[in-house]
Amino acid sequence: MTTMTMAKALNEGLRRALESDRHVLMLGEDIGKLGGVFRVTDGLQKDFGEDRVIDAPLAESAIVGTSVGLAMRGYRTVVEIQFDGFVYPAFDQIVSQAAKLHKRSAGAYTMGLVIRLPFQGGIGAVEHHSESPEAYFVHTAGLRVVACSTPNDAYWMIQQAVAHDDPVIFCEPKCRYWDRGEVDLDHPPAGLFDAVVRRPGRDVTVVAYGSMVKVALQAAEAAAEEGRDLEVIDLRGLSPMDLDTVAASVERTGRLLVIQEAPPIASVGSEVVAAIQERCFYSLRAPATRVSAFYVPYPASKIEDEFRPSVDRVLWTLDQLMEHDS
Amino acid sequence: MSVFLLPDVGEGLVEAEIVSWKVAVGDVVTLNQPLVEIETAKAIVELPSPYAGTVTTLHGAVGDVIEVGHPLVDFDGGDAGESAPPLETPAAPPAAEPAESAESTKSSAAERTPVLVGYGVSPDRARRRRHHTPAPAAAPAPAPAPAAPAAGARGPLVPRTTPPVRLYARQHGVDLETLTGSGRDGIITRADVEQALRAPVPAPAPAPTRATPLGPTRFAGHEIAGWDEGPREERIAVRGVARAMAEAMTASAFSAPHAAAWVRVDATKTMELVAALRERPAFAPLRISPLLIVALALCDGARHFPGINSSFDAASGEVIVRRQVNLGIAVASSRGLLVPNVKGADRMSPAELAAALTGTIDRARTATSTPDEMLHTTLTITNVGPFHVDGAVPILPPGTGAIVAVGQIARRPWVVGDAVVPRETVDLSMAFDHRQIDGALASAFLAHVGQFLEDPAPAMIAP
Amino acid sequence: MGGEELIQLLTPEGERCQHDDYESTLTRDEILGFYRDMVIVRRLCNEATSLQRQGQLALWAPLQGQEAAQIGAGRALAPQDFAFPSYREHGVAWTRGVPPADMARIFRATVTGGWDPRRYRYSLPTVVLGDQTLHAVGYAMGIQRDGADEAVMVFFGDGASSQGDVMESFVWAASFQAPVVFVLQNNQWAISEPTSLQTRIPLYHRADGFGFPGVRVDGNDVLAMYEVTRRALDRARAGEGPTLIEAFTYRMGAHTTSDDPTRYRVEADVEVWRHRDPVERVKALLARSHRVRTARFAEIAEEADALALALREDVLAMDAPPATEMFDDVYAEPHPWVEEGRRTLSAFLTEVAP
Repeated sequence: MTTMTMAKALNEGLRRALESDRHVLMLGEDIGKLGGVFRVTDGLQKDFGEDRVIDAPLAESAIVGTSVGLAMRGYRTVVEIQFDGFVYPAFDQIVSQAAKLHKRSAGAYTMGLVIRLPFQGGIGAVEHHSESPEAYFVHTAGLRVVACSTPNDAYWMIQQAVAHDDPVIFCEPKCRYWDRGEVDLDHPPAGLFDAVVRRPGRDVTVVAYGSMVKVALQAAEAAAEEGRDLEVIDLRGLSPMDLDTVAASVERTGRLLVIQEAPPIASVGSEVVAAIQERCFYSLRAPATRVSAFYVPYPASKIEDEFRPSVDRVLWTLDQLMEHDS
Repeated sequence: MSVFLLPDVGEGLVEAEIVSWKVAVGDVVTLNQPLVEIETAKAIVELPSPYAGTVTTLHGAVGDVIEVGHPLVDFDGGDAGESAPPLETPAAPPAAEPAESAESTKSSAAERTPVLVGYGVSPDRARRRRHHTPAPAAAPAPAPAPAAPAAGARGPLVPRTTPPVRLYARQHGVDLETLTGSGRDGIITRADVEQALRAPVPAPAPAPTRATPLGPTRFAGHEIAGWDEGPREERIAVRGVARAMAEAMTASAFSAPHAAAWVRVDATKTMELVAALRERPAFAPLRISPLLIVALALCDGARHFPGINSSFDAASGEVIVRRQVNLGIAVASSRGLLVPNVKGADRMSPAELAAALTGTIDRARTATSTPDEMLHTTLTITNVGPFHVDGAVPILPPGTGAIVAVGQIARRPWVVGDAVVPRETVDLSMAFDHRQIDGALASAFLAHVGQFLEDPAPAMIAP
Repeated sequence: MGGEELIQLLTPEGERCQHDDYESTLTRDEILGFYRDMVIVRRLCNEATSLQRQGQLALWAPLQGQEAAQIGAGRALAPQDFAFPSYREHGVAWTRGVPPADMARIFRATVTGGWDPRRYRYSLPTVVLGDQTLHAVGYAMGIQRDGADEAVMVFFGDGASSQGDVMESFVWAASFQAPVVFVLQNNQWAISEPTSLQTRIPLYHRADGFGFPGVRVDGNDVLAMYEVTRRALDRARAGEGPTLIEAFTYRMGAHTTSDDPTRYRVEADVEVWRHRDPVERVKALLARSHRVRTARFAEIAEEADALALALREDVLAMDAPPATEMFDDVYAEPHPWVEEGRRTLSAFLTEVAP
């Protein structure tokens, strides 16, 4: 066990991935000498060379498109999209090419690439630096999507994603990059797509991912003082989702609350709610409910605290949820 | 014979006009030999022959309009090896269709709506729907509804309840449409279903199920786990209504010295009166129950023995006698015990009191009592009969002098003259604050109430 | 036609001509082989067009007029090279050994791909214009890292040249000096839009701005196409970076079988290009200069007919896959949502099937 920040844990995980296989490459803007704008790739180019840790010209579609070509030749490229809001120029290459070529080639092409996406807000950034685009990718068959929330998960999940044979959108909550946590360098905590129960509880199942896991745990602490016992599940896998773990919890608590930074409409939370409603209909004591951002473009960050779900808004929604009862 | 159907060549084609024939009947044509020039909505197109053989029929003359999928040319001696129906053509003999079930649904090229880059838009498939037949269910079918519920123009509303209660009701054969919800916003609660299961005229008994017996699991304002499911020991935070009840009961029990008295009465005439009132049009919209008669009896008793309607003010060393009955009713609500009151119950006509009681009880059950209803109770009824017990020794709501518990009304043996006959009897038990109410006063009051119930009609008329 | 810098080694009349930088070293048999290739792909393409007119294919994208551009470039590829097509490159597919029936599958709409790209070292049709240029550059970057003696060739058109991905691929190929040859078949038309709408300068001039050589070749001259692309591939394998080759040619037919070119171009223009036919000029050369006999041409035509008939039989025999094929190979490793779909559709088909 050792303690480090999530940014450092990702750095260490990437280092191990680069060490494990010469076909692992890294490609992104400013990832070389600078070490990435979040320093996640700090020192990797120095140690593994410019041919493996590649500073990319500023063209996101090309970063992903060339990684698709590299995958066709058996390389596993870890792409860094500098900020969530810059992924859209690469959208076509992700959804039309990376997602489909395994199918179209009847399995001949292995699309082993990881698209690292620093996502979500909460860092007081300017425009285009705080978005939650994960649902676009969850919606696309052929892609896999995960989100880490702790340094330990970051360390292990990035290695698992690199080893995976399908294209993985790897969402990193940038507001948690500097949070410290214990990292077990010897044993992975779970499978790449497994949901993990972060806090057991009896009254309500709270599902969160990325930045909102911490909010959920803080809300659970506050609710405990009011006599409410929340179970917090870190979803981790967004495609596929470990709905078995969520459903098993809801069958005990009878209540589901999903917390997400994304707007609520057609979101990851929408899928969790819909799937649990189908699976756990006769266990639900109250409507399965989402606490989300709002259906507006990401606002000026001076008012982002009201846009993103807060502990108070979670508790406020929880009160409403608990009013339904039988 | 082989038939060439006018294909959908994906050009926005639903029909085509014959511009010129390149062959005549009797011509021997080769594969891909031009047969005909057609004009579609977009262009003039030459169609090559899909067969080698002799032309036997040309369907249509120059200028005729042929619909896509309809015969264009018939051939004799079409070489099977060189001819086949288009992948999407309906004229194919069924035997030529692949065996897979999915394939047998292939729709007609003729029916497709043309588009720019494909075979065209599929028409709606022919309906071949078979209903899903579920495996035999473990749970019994729900009991038939005894009565049709009120239906609006678009049919009755679905009874509002939560899925677990819906499942519970179904497992026990309770028709939710026959229930009135006592929960928030009129939602049917588990308790409502449980009450329906205890009702004297139950729905046809459900077949035995595997389900473990489900008893009330509400406790201290919570839904708690069953005996086998929950932990050996469990601590539950007491909040809200449950906490209010605990505090009120403690305050009352350890400030007012409680004493009790009880009486058994023949309530046969009370039950007859209730039945008679239910027949009267003026009472039709009201909920008439023995509770109404008990309430009238208590008000009448208070009028005769005002000391009962009193409270003891220890701080000032005074006793407060009130000449208005704010009649409290103990109600088991979805959130716990609530005791709202009907203000000035003693001045109300039987119909007014019936209406007031109904409203007060309904609001309490849905936990929507007004704050005013919760204040200044002077005399209280607690109706324990529905819980199948004969009596109880209640604790006084703080600030009141007496509380009367009404047991279950049931046919019991009763001595009339020298005969033992079945009568509808009920036990009334009363707790009172012994600081200001002595045994004599309490007994006199309770006996008066009992007599009222033994023969309520004259008592209601008497001043 | 094509300007002064057009590289041409064989005139439309079938006469050899000189060029300062390029010279054809092809033997008689090699040229005859190219002729055979072009005759066959044209014949296969005609058959496919007929099959579409008979309702047997959902669509076809004819290559008529571009046979020399595709055969010349395709034959220049070494076996170890890798090529990326757009969607009209049936001629290149032929040179890579892709069976004609496999080329037709995607147009029969029984699959979304058609062949194993690794087996033929020839990728799948790419319909989103220009996407494949980035795949080619990425693949070429992999070759660099493997230190392999290989090159990549990627095909796109004058329409796709306006795509951002194509521009990005030029930037990357230049910055990384990737071993890639861009073959831009300028067939003058992007469906109904003329090249003048895509560019105000000759397209091969664009390479200058990105920092690598660009040339314009007579795309209807198979000898020139072969020599120019072969040299560019050699250059790439030698680590000298990318080349842009503009094959100046003409789309004689419709964009696809769903198109009607009479709405946007005049027959007289097409007629001009008919005199520049890529197949006829080679036939003239072979007959006149290499004394190939008429019977040999007839043999080749018969061979092409036989292949066309075989294509027809293969196409007619192509059935739709079982519906549950849609769930295969979506992911390399099982995905529960895909499997849930498979279970649902299977149950539905079982219950509803007769």
